[in-house]
Amino acid sequence: MPEGASSSAFTSEGLKINRGAVDTVRELLRTLLESGKVKAVLALGRTGGDEGGVGYSLFRNPAAFEANGAALPLLPFMPANAGALLSRLTLEGPLPEPVAAVVRPCELRASIELAKLSQGYLDNILFISSTCGGVYPLDAGIDGNLEEMLPRYWQAMKQGTLDDKVRPTCRACNNFVPEGADITVALLGEADLDEECTLYVQTERGADFASCLEGATTEVKQENKVLERSMVQRDAFREELFATVEVGLEGLIRTFGRCIGCHGCKTVCPICHCRLCHFDSQDCERPAGFYEGELARKGGLRVPPDTVYFQLGRMAHMAISCVGCGMCTDVCPTDIPLSTIFSKVGASAQAAFDYHPGKDVDEEIPLRTFEEEEFAQVAT
Amino acid sequence: MNDKGAVLTAEDGVKDALIGWLKETLKNGVFDAILIPVETPGGDSFAYLLLQDPAILDSASPLPPVMPVQGGKALGRLTMRGRLNRQIAAVVRPCEARAAIELCKLEQANLENVCLITIDCPGVLPLSEYLDDPETSAVRHAGASSAWDRSPMRPTCQICDHFSIRQAPGSDLHIGTLGCEEGTAIMVAGSAKGERVLERTNPPTLEKEEESYSLNGLLEEWAAQVEEMERAQTKTRQRAHADLREAISGTDRLLDLFKDCINCHNCQRVCPVCYCRQCYFESDALKLPPENYLARANRKGALRFSPDTLLFHIGRASHMATSCVSCGACEDACPMDIPIAQVFSLLADRAQETLGYVAGMSLEDPLPLVTFEMDELHDVEQPYVKIYAKQEVQDA
Repeated sequence: MPEGASSSAFTSEGLKINRGAVDTVRELLRTLLESGKVKAVLALGRTGGDEGGVGYSLFRNPAAFEANGAALPLLPFMPANAGALLSRLTLEGPLPEPVAAVVRPCELRASIELAKLSQGYLDNILFISSTCGGVYPLDAGIDGNLEEMLPRYWQAMKQGTLDDKVRPTCRACNNFVPEGADITVALLGEADLDEECTLYVQTERGADFASCLEGATTEVKQENKVLERSMVQRDAFREELFATVEVGLEGLIRTFGRCIGCHGCKTVCPICHCRLCHFDSQDCERPAGFYEGELARKGGLRVPPDTVYFQLGRMAHMAISCVGCGMCTDVCPTDIPLSTIFSKVGASAQAAFDYHPGKDVDEEIPLRTFEEEEFAQVAT
Repeated sequence: MNDKGAVLTAEDGVKDALIGWLKETLKNGVFDAILIPVETPGGDSFAYLLLQDPAILDSASPLPPVMPVQGGKALGRLTMRGRLNRQIAAVVRPCEARAAIELCKLEQANLENVCLITIDCPGVLPLSEYLDDPETSAVRHAGASSAWDRSPMRPTCQICDHFSIRQAPGSDLHIGTLGCEEGTAIMVAGSAKGERVLERTNPPTLEKEEESYSLNGLLEEWAAQVEEMERAQTKTRQRAHADLREAISGTDRLLDLFKDCINCHNCQRVCPVCYCRQCYFESDALKLPPENYLARANRKGALRFSPDTLLFHIGRASHMATSCVSCGACEDACPMDIPIAQVFSLLADRAQETLGYVAGMSLEDPLPLVTFEMDELHDVEQPYVKIYAKQEVQDA
C-alpha cells in the first residue's frame, strides 16, 4: 500500500514531461520493465493480433510498450475490473516482486477493498492511475470498433468534458480522481495531452519509480478547476440517473423482470468475491414439493425462482463495498441498469456508516467492526 | 413417433386454441399445473411460470419471440431433487424438451410427472435485438413465424434441423402446424403418456376424428412438410458448419475467436446441460500463487489475464459437446457477441456423430460416455497386451 498518500490531484505538485500522456505512460512502463524495477505490468492490450480485441494482460516483455506494441494503457475500455484481476493474481499470497498496474480509480478502489476483505495483497503493486474520463460500454469494443471512438474521446478529455457515448455509470461517477495511487497521470482537462504530460507522484515509491523517466521535467503546482467543474456536471447527471430507478417492490419486479438468471453481474463484480454464492448453493436447490407448496400459496410461480431475491441478497451483501465500477450493467445480456441501482443503494448504505469503499486501506469495513456503544444497544 | 393424434381446431390461431385446450386440462384435472412462458410485468420479456390458475393462461405465450431462459433448465430447477408430486404440462420448444430429456439422463431432472408439450418451432429473435424494441420485434417475429422465414431469427435457429417432433421424438405431445391449413393444427402423441392425455381430453376445441382418413391425411401432409423443411435445414446447417470450420481451424483462429471474451462465463451459466454445481474452471484448481502467473508471463512475454480463456471454452466444449442441444442460449447471454452457439453446434454435431448419438432424442438411448461396448474394451486391452504383457512376464 502506498505510504504517505496525502496529496490529491485537485491541488498537487506534479512533474511536467514534454511528451504526450499516452507516450509518457508507455515510456515509463517500458523503462520500468527494462531496468527490472518491475517484473511485470498489468495493463490493457490487444488480444487478437490484427483482428482487434482488447483485454488485460500481464506484460513481461518491454517491447509491448513500444509505439506499436501490443499494450494499450489508458484505453477507455474496461473488459474486467482490474481490481478483481489483481485479487486473482495475489489471492494465494503477496507478489514476490514489484508489478505495476495501470488502473482506473474504480479499479484501484476495488483492489483496496478486496485487500481489506482478505481477497488479495497490495504489497509490491505499483498503482498507476489517472484522472478518469470514463470508459465506453463493452459492446463498443466488439471486433475492434473501439478505435473509431478514440478521436472523440480524447477531444472531449482535452476540453475537460466526457464523450456522451461513455457509459452512463462513468458520466455519473463522482470518484474519478484516484486516491492512493503511486502515480496519477493527469488526463481530464489537459488541453495539451498530446504534447505534454503531468504526473502527480503521490508516494515515495512512486517518486522512486518515476525518477527513471527521462525528458525535461519541471515541477508544477496547480489547482485544477477543470476537475471541480467535471464534478459538478457528473453530480448533476448522477442525480438525474438515480431518479430513473423504479422504487418499491413493484418497481423492482418490473426492473428485474427480464433478468435471465445468468448471474453475470455477480461473476464480474469485483466485490462479489464469495467462492460459492449463496444463491448458487444447495440452500437454493429445493425439492419439487417446496415449489408445489409455493404454487399452492401463490397461484403462479416463476421458474427459476428467486429473481428479485437474488438481486436484493447480492445488494445486501455487497452494497457497503460497491465501488460503482459499472461492470454489472456492462455484462448484463438484458441491459438491466444494475450499476445505477447498486450505486444508488450503495451510496446511501455507505453514507449511513460514513464509509468510503476502497479509499483507505486502514478504514475499517463497517460490518467487520463494532463500537462499544453498539454493543450496549444490543445488550440492553 | 406415434401415429395417434387429434385435430386442434384453431379458428382464432394456434396460440388461442392451445391455451383454450390447456385451460380445459386444468379444469378437468388432466394436469394440476402448467409450465409455460408468460409475459413479464414490465411487458419487455417472457419468463417461465408454473401456474394452476387458468385465468393466468390468458397472458401466456406458448411460442414467445425470444428464449430468455432455456425451458430444460427451468424443468431441471423444479425437479433436480426428485419428481413432482402432481402432474404438470410443460409447454416448451423442441430444443428445450431435448435439454430436459438430456438433463434427466444426466440425473439432473426428473420427468416422471411432466408431460412435455412441444410445437413446430420457427425460431426466436436474438435476445438483445428484441430488448432494443420489444413491441416492433414481436410484430417482426410474428410475421416471420407465420411465413416460416428464419432470416430474422438467431443464427442458431437459422441452422436448426430439430424444429419438430419428427427429429426430436422425445416430447410427449407435439403440436404440428407445418402444412396445416389456417384454422387447424394437429396434436401428435409422442409417448404412451401423451396418448393417455389425448384420450382424457375432450374439450370442444379438440375434435377427435371419427373418420380416420381425414386425420391421417393431415398427418401425412404435416410429415411431408416437416421432412422437406428438415432436408433444407440440414443442408443449410452443413453449409454453415463448413464455413465456420474453415474460419476457426487452428489455434491462432481459435484464439482470435475468443479475443473479446471477458471471462464472465455467462455461456456456461445459461447452458441447460452445463449443470455442474462447481465448474472446474471456477474452482480452486485454477487459483494459483502469483509466482505461477509471473513465470507464465515470463515464459510467453505476456500472459492474458484472467488466464485460461481458451482453456475454459475448450474444456467446456469437451465436457458437454455430447449433450449439447444447440439451443443458442449461450450466444444470447454473451455480452461480447461471440458466435459461441454456432461454434458449439459444430463441435456437438461432430462429437455426437462420432459416437452415434443425438442429444435429448429419447430417455432410452444411453449417454455415450457413461456406457461402453465390449469391442471398445478390446481396443484398449489389445495395445496394452501387445506392448506390456511380454515385458511383465520377463520382469517377473
